[in-house]
Amino acid sequence: MKLQYYPGCTLYTKAKPLNTSLHACFNAVGIELAELPHWYCCGTTFTLARDNRMSLIAPLRILAKAQQEDGKVLVPCSICYNTLKRANYMLKENTETLDIINEHLEESYDGNEIVLHPLEFFRDNEELVRSKVKKSLKDLKVGCYYGCLLLRPEQEIQFDDPEAPTIFENFISSVGATPVDFPLKVECCGAYLVVNSPDAAVEASYKLLRNAQDNGADVVVTTCPLCYYNLDALQAKMKKAHPDFKEIPIFYFSQIMAIALGMEEKKLGLEQNKVSPYEILKEYNLL
Amino acid sequence: MNKILADKDLTRRIEEISDQKLSDCYQCGRCTAGCPFAEFMDVPPNQVIRFMQLGLKEDLLKTQGPWFCAACLVCQARCPRGVDIPRLMEAVRTIHLRAKEGLIDVPEIDKEFLLDAPPLAVMSAFSKFTY
Repeated sequence: MKLQYYPGCTLYTKAKPLNTSLHACFNAVGIELAELPHWYCCGTTFTLARDNRMSLIAPLRILAKAQQEDGKVLVPCSICYNTLKRANYMLKENTETLDIINEHLEESYDGNEIVLHPLEFFRDNEELVRSKVKKSLKDLKVGCYYGCLLLRPEQEIQFDDPEAPTIFENFISSVGATPVDFPLKVECCGAYLVVNSPDAAVEASYKLLRNAQDNGADVVVTTCPLCYYNLDALQAKMKKAHPDFKEIPIFYFSQIMAIALGMEEKKLGLEQNKVSPYEILKEYNLL
Repeated sequence: MNKILADKDLTRRIEEISDQKLSDCYQCGRCTAGCPFAEFMDVPPNQVIRFMQLGLKEDLLKTQGPWFCAACLVCQARCPRGVDIPRLMEAVRTIHLRAKEGLIDVPEIDKEFLLDAPPLAVMSAFSKFTY
């Protein structure tokens, strides 16, 4: 079986480990990810100004293109997922905008392409995932960090409960690891404020990692390349600001799944982690 | 600053860009209570909205508060009046950016950081903070 796939810019550059491990996981459950031909950037971030129609062009051209290939498209990056889904919603709610945008597109689009996240796919195919697990991760306590973009706004994204989601914990259980719930799992890591106000991102990320640790997490897992960067790369700065902070390894959800499925180490892309994941994985005999 | 809005009513402009009704906010402060970045803002979210409600142009355009909004939407999820506060913050940024007042000076960004950071971080910041 084939599934249409939109990787987005970061999965080909800084988030290669997410891309490679995700491909490996889908292959293992018998699905080939068929990349949307000639895709480009989704525009990163959905515009919140109602009169900014220009920003809708990029996501809608992607969705129009994707619709020509297949009725649904798999989007692993949280920012792309949020941007594409909100653009879709906006068009369905606002036919005037849809008409104006369609006048500017070569393709015409109706707002009906289904944007699917890998966690939704794995939720709907839980038994398949369980049946492929080869290594026991039950000792690994995994803090499931959702961040913002998969959850909010609830009405438009309809992914899970924005304050008390469970889809990520269920996924982690289905690959055999032990999920750890922590209150700040739905709060912001600082996102792109890291570019202009790094202190705000360091503080926000520190608080939530600390919260995960206080609730017993050995590692924290995310879906978003931007969260991943803030949580992983900013730990040196967190330590400077809070000397008692103990480093904690960060993983993509697909890396944890790939470990559980017994993938060889080179498919995991662990060498890109700034905070070493090797000690904890060796401690639990997972490498 | 005044010249930007000399012939326009600020409150109306904000409501137009954001598609929100400012009188919906009854100043309970829940947005500020849950905002992960309120501690970094000179003026917290509910007070920024108060400036809008009162049409305090100069105060509103002077505050740095909206530039610390990461559009994480926690406030939007929790507002008891259904106000989409990030849209209001975006409206303030939009007014600045359309007057060619950006927050980031791109050549000033640390090169090492640019090489290290994921493209989506940089692109997001550019789309929110530059014109």
